[in-house]
Amino acid sequence: MRNLLIIRAVAFNSFVESVRNRFFTLFAVFAFTAVYASVLAGVMAVDQEARVLADFGLALIELTALAYSLFAASSTLLREAETKTIYLVFSRPVPRWAYLAGKLCGALLTAGLMLVVMAAMHLSLLAFRGFGLPAFYAWALAGTFLKLAVIISFAFFVSLFSTSAVSTLVIASIMWTLGHFASEARFLAERAPGIQGAVLTAFLWLIPNLQLFNARDAAGAASPLGLAVLFPAAAWVAASCLGALWLLSRKEF
Amino acid sequence: MTACAVSFSGVEKTYKRPRLLGAEYHTAVKDLSFEIPAGEITGLLGLNGAGKTTIMKLITGLLFPTAGQVRVFGQPPSDVAAKARVGFLPELPYFPPQVKPADALEYYGRLSGLSGAELSRAVESSMKKTGLEPHAGKRISEFSKGMLQRLGLGQALLHKPDLLVLDEPVSGLDPLAIHDIRALLAGLNAEGCAIFLSSHSISEVEKLASRVLLMVSGKLAAAVTRAQWESAPGGLEKIFVEAVK
Repeated sequence: MRNLLIIRAVAFNSFVESVRNRFFTLFAVFAFTAVYASVLAGVMAVDQEARVLADFGLALIELTALAYSLFAASSTLLREAETKTIYLVFSRPVPRWAYLAGKLCGALLTAGLMLVVMAAMHLSLLAFRGFGLPAFYAWALAGTFLKLAVIISFAFFVSLFSTSAVSTLVIASIMWTLGHFASEARFLAERAPGIQGAVLTAFLWLIPNLQLFNARDAAGAASPLGLAVLFPAAAWVAASCLGALWLLSRKEF
Repeated sequence: MTACAVSFSGVEKTYKRPRLLGAEYHTAVKDLSFEIPAGEITGLLGLNGAGKTTIMKLITGLLFPTAGQVRVFGQPPSDVAAKARVGFLPELPYFPPQVKPADALEYYGRLSGLSGAELSRAVESSMKKTGLEPHAGKRISEFSKGMLQRLGLGQALLHKPDLLVLDEPVSGLDPLAIHDIRALLAGLNAEGCAIFLSSHSISEVEKLASRVLLMVSGKLAAAVTRAQWESAPGGLEKIFVEAVK
């Protein structure tokens, strides 16, 4: 119970700091502009306006939330170490796993808030153009949230051994990109000969398959995502968190 | 209560700095053995790089010893039970500038396991003890260095620790703030709290401590009691200068 209260305190503090951060305002303005741009693109799409508006808006929502989440996740632990705030935390009876869990919850809360705010803007713009709620919209947002959870936890892990926030940002962005080509990469690896193929296939198990969370890819399917995608998401988040915890428990300040 | 708040036994701390080829090692403290008695004020003096901050971080579990053993109230410093009895003020503590002092204290109080009415009382008591009550409505961005130091001390006092570890607690403060903090520390010690403080100011340590550890190049050069420096010609300053030369 005591540790749950610590997780809640760290999560809330992390969330409030993120929301107060001027970058959050900057991204909120950017998100609004980006979603408005999707309306312009929709107008140009003529017959497919509703589809272009929905898809373009959702893609921009994901990219904007990803950019801010990665920025926040890459810098939060490093900033606390640089400002020595971490001294005041770890000199207290705060288990390192509880601190990490709190930071992750705070980052997910921030990402969730960003998605909700941007989705509200997007749906308002769609309504303004005379369109209703697109099919699978909530699933698409849920998929984006799962992707963010996977990549945020990975960024936490990387930030514990990388030397700067920029390198964490770059590595996590590369992972996000690779994750969207996981199926293609596996297809090619399976066709690579001998040991080369085996090594490549083994390496690809380390890359999260983010295509699993693309609800709009499966727009023709009966169920766009399904609860089954929670398992791979949970596995990748847990793997990153365990790695991060292993590094954090050995880290000195 | 254990008679000994902190014990160091043959402690060594070596920092490893990775380089392009291999690593660079620097031994900050070596073969360090001493005890900090419970309920007393112990000072730590040394030149820059003598290992003072390393000792403080070893006590608070922020660093792990390379060799030897550190015990805080009989427990390893990383133990939750040990940490619950220690309050730490690092040098130049940082607080988010946009919040008010009570908000910052509330956060650290929660991390210390306080909640509800107990937390409110602890925050109020810390604000009062450190003289921050008149500044309760200000944001931390408006705080002077002295006020930040008071807030740093306030967060260390929240959970009523049995041991206060203070790294340069009066560094850069004006004479009135130094006087107030000295009075506060003397009061806490009178209530039974052990205090371990490092400082560059010999006179400050001399006024407060009943025993002083002198660190020279990572080693304990001497442990001097109040009776010893009061009976020596030239006092603590002369003993310190002779030890570091």
